[in-house]
Amino acid sequence: MVERSPWLTAFCYLVLIIGAAIVCVPLYMSFVAGSLDYVRLQQMPFPLLPGGHFWENMVTAWNRVDFSRLYINSIIVTVGIVTGKIAVSLIAAFVISYFRFPFRMTMFWLIFISLMLPIEARIIPTYEAIADVGGPLRELFRITGISWLVETMTGYRIEMALNWNFINTYPGLILPLIASASATFLFRQFFLTIPDELCEAAKLDNAGPIKFFKDIVLPLSTSNIAALAVILFIGNWNQYLWPLLFTTDPEMRTVVLGLSHLVPGPDEPPAWNLSMAAAFFVMLPPALVVIFLQRWLTSGMVDSGK
Amino acid sequence: MLVSSDSSTIREGAPWRLPASLFTGLRARFGAQSSEGLKAAHFARPGIAIVLLAPQLLILLFFFYIPAYKALSLAFVQTDPFGLTTMFVGLDNFMRLFASPEYRFSASLSLVFTFVQSVITLSCAALLAFATDRVVRGKAIFKGIILLPYAIAPVASGTIFAFVFNANVGPFANFLHELGLPWNPALRPLDAQILVVVAAVWNHLCYDYIFLVAAMLAVPRSLMEAAALDGARPVRRFFTVTLPLIMPTFFFLMIMNLIYGLFDTFALIDTMTQGGPAASTSTLVYKVYQDGFVQLDLGSSAAQSVVLMAIAVVFTILQFRAVERRVNYGV
Amino acid sequence: MTVFNKTLAGTALCSVLALAATPAFSQERVHIEWWYALSGRLGDLTQEMIANFNASQDQYEVVGIHKGNYEETMAAMVAAYRVGQQPTLLMAAERGFMTMLNSGAIVPVNQVMAEQGYDTDWGDFIAPVAGFYVVDGEPAALPFNSSTPIFWFNQDQFTAAGFDGPADTWQELDEQLYALKEQGITECPMVLPSDFQWSLLENYSAINDMPFGTSANGFDGLDTEFVYNTTGMVGQVDRLARWVEDGILHLAGEGMSSTQMFVSGNCATVMSSTASHASVEAGAQFDWNATFMPHEEGVEPRNSTIGGGAIWVVAGQDDGEYAAAAAFLDFVASPDNQAWWSEQTGYVPVTTAAYEQMAAEGYFEEHPTREIAILQLSRGEPNENSRGFRFGNHNQTTAILVEEMQAIWTGQKTVQEALDSSVARGNVILRQYEQLHAGQ
Repeated sequence: MVERSPWLTAFCYLVLIIGAAIVCVPLYMSFVAGSLDYVRLQQMPFPLLPGGHFWENMVTAWNRVDFSRLYINSIIVTVGIVTGKIAVSLIAAFVISYFRFPFRMTMFWLIFISLMLPIEARIIPTYEAIADVGGPLRELFRITGISWLVETMTGYRIEMALNWNFINTYPGLILPLIASASATFLFRQFFLTIPDELCEAAKLDNAGPIKFFKDIVLPLSTSNIAALAVILFIGNWNQYLWPLLFTTDPEMRTVVLGLSHLVPGPDEPPAWNLSMAAAFFVMLPPALVVIFLQRWLTSGMVDSGK
Repeated sequence: MLVSSDSSTIREGAPWRLPASLFTGLRARFGAQSSEGLKAAHFARPGIAIVLLAPQLLILLFFFYIPAYKALSLAFVQTDPFGLTTMFVGLDNFMRLFASPEYRFSASLSLVFTFVQSVITLSCAALLAFATDRVVRGKAIFKGIILLPYAIAPVASGTIFAFVFNANVGPFANFLHELGLPWNPALRPLDAQILVVVAAVWNHLCYDYIFLVAAMLAVPRSLMEAAALDGARPVRRFFTVTLPLIMPTFFFLMIMNLIYGLFDTFALIDTMTQGGPAASTSTLVYKVYQDGFVQLDLGSSAAQSVVLMAIAVVFTILQFRAVERRVNYGV
Repeated sequence: MTVFNKTLAGTALCSVLALAATPAFSQERVHIEWWYALSGRLGDLTQEMIANFNASQDQYEVVGIHKGNYEETMAAMVAAYRVGQQPTLLMAAERGFMTMLNSGAIVPVNQVMAEQGYDTDWGDFIAPVAGFYVVDGEPAALPFNSSTPIFWFNQDQFTAAGFDGPADTWQELDEQLYALKEQGITECPMVLPSDFQWSLLENYSAINDMPFGTSANGFDGLDTEFVYNTTGMVGQVDRLARWVEDGILHLAGEGMSSTQMFVSGNCATVMSSTASHASVEAGAQFDWNATFMPHEEGVEPRNSTIGGGAIWVVAGQDDGEYAAAAAFLDFVASPDNQAWWSEQTGYVPVTTAAYEQMAAEGYFEEHPTREIAILQLSRGEPNENSRGFRFGNHNQTTAILVEEMQAIWTGQKTVQEALDSSVARGNVILRQYEQLHAGQ
């Protein structure tokens, strides 16, 4: 600390405690709901203290849906999205900020505009894109006459090679979710704050862009990458609509789909105790990510004095 | 400069003259000349740049631009969901939207909602991040706790939220009733609107918070110490030193909040109010979601998406002009 | 307890069979997908029925996939159909009937059954069910989870107020509900069901023999127009509005289901689906009972209408897949399975054979409230006001109706204003649909 000011420190603790309390209310309520038996759950008023059935409800919920398989899927898909998106975006943002090349601003806006259309508004055509990834290429070859050219010259029909169906595959679950530019935008904003001297120094040392990226930019970005990874992991772990639409193979479903199977529908007993208990083991991996990755947020890299 | 004069030299005297100069003009506008947002110290290696940018562009092309184009092109047709019959109707879908009082209400509602929730979310997150940055003990614990609720699946948190504020049984609603407030989001539009704002703030707070915490970590301690030696109190230091330095992140969050408010709140609204009562919480994105995904009125939904997208682009550009120019990135 | 054992046994049996059978038969068995929209306990029971079918023969295997709620399932179907990835069987809600029927993406279930050599007796389906699903003499879909609203009440509270039970007519019921409140027996004499447009408006219109729209509620053609702003419905909505105003009729609000408000003892009555049986039986800690929906004084009540979901056969599959589909549908429609499904869930047994089988087992003597729905559905011969509702884009017009009803409760519009506006906006949607499907 730079100096002491006990009142401000006390105020900060107060803010944090109140903040933590407020954000945790729903968490606590779902814990209470998850710890009741069905009959008690139906009675009013809703209890403020948990009942004793939490473990029992968790076990029942776990066994009702084959969660072990779903867990593996969710981990593969979420890790795929997080690493893919961070890698692609980090590099793209680096290029946008550190390279002079033709149509730089056009590229920037092309990437950036992709934030501006809600996912649900394009979900049905995206399904097409996943079911037939080669479609646009075939179309391109057909329009440009390349496929005709290849066919007349070699007798080979290019269309045959361009039939890729990604439904029920991991790439099908991962790729569409990488296609958004929020992360690129974040890194671009961050790079703007990196002192220019660092790049000039690197250039004086004859370091190329790749070396500069690896040795300077990447280490500086650690806390931002960690923050983004946490947010992306949680957000994508909880993805519902995409995996729901894009999987028809029970073996390829994710945990949130399993959870949704436990959520009571309108016509039936509101057995929320099971779904709420299940919500806890569903949120366990994101919770672990929060706990372990946020350590990276605690160690500032810029200043050794921190 | 160099590039453009080169190309016009090559074309000199050729019949291509006009298009070439047009091309150069365009290039000067969008191409190599622009150094907006470009680091003062940078590399001029277009080849490497394009190669490195390719993955992002290809993924966007295949999984964003092509699907988005297909989706938006439905704005000019009426179609049954299965694509059996499609009729070109020109601007009919747009005309119908703009003529509808419900839609105009929804548009103004969305703008107010987005603005209010952005301001509240950012201020709360900034306050919490500021406090987190200052305290020494328990820093990691507070961070963990504040982030944890973000991990609950939205289906669970939305339901719990609606329940806690339910006028018949919700503990929070009971509390409000005991204070003498006639809280009932099922019957009172304003209550429902407040509820949606509160839930949206709650839902998005963690997002803003974690990036602000990360950004504040990057503020060099030496600057803070220098400011302290000059006699600046902590709160003043926040506004004079920290805030300008984290402004790019702040700006990022402003845009993300705008996008969240405009685009990502339909699930929340769906679980908490279903757009009601009497469409009082039916924002533009909820209508897009309802009309397109639930009601399968693809034409109208596409037209609404076009409008929504236009609004978002205009607001973003305005924000860029207002904020980006004023921020001093030279640290 | 028996339910649990049966589920357990079914699951165990199915997993054992799956383990034993998969390696040997996986090559020969024809796999088909069935996308359904039931979750929670109903989802488990659906899976159990599928497992039973798969265990009952070794030629076909149905893979049941939960595709979210009805809306999500339909959206998934639309997306998949456009790229040829559609399932063979699909569950769709009764409100999506016209959307499915005119989609060009289905094969009438009767056609599939006939082609595959099954002799299904469609005359055996109870009248409003058959009446709704039969188009031009041909059943378009197989009704699966069918329900109808019945009147649930808290016997303890009615007794305390000095009533034997709820009255038959809305007029007398009105007095009873006010009495329940005035005597301080309950704060909430009735709770509004979440699907009130179905139970309290559409079914009201059918039971009391009023037209909801022209052209026999859409049965006679796509030129149908809503007329409920000119019928006795105005009086009904007026009554509901007065009840909400006076605190007689409470809104459960989001986060709470209306059934739960009844089951917890907070509200004395609710008019909701017979499928609520599972919740009420499992959760109610008081002497509950159910009866027929009330009717207007001096009106001979007609049958109520069907709700819930049906199984559709999707176009574009090969003959082997249709054979599997037909075998499965035959299995589902069998009296044994109908009776089992109905007993487990509270849904209506849709065939007379299943109903008679349950009656013969003495099931309704033990569970008298389970019979109300089917008796109410088969009351009299359905006429053009009570056969059901065939409006294009019925989901959209319903959403508008609900929105306008809320405008009444929030005090923004009078009853007549709201109904007029709802009809006007609804008719625009109907004309759009007609324009798009002209010539079908």
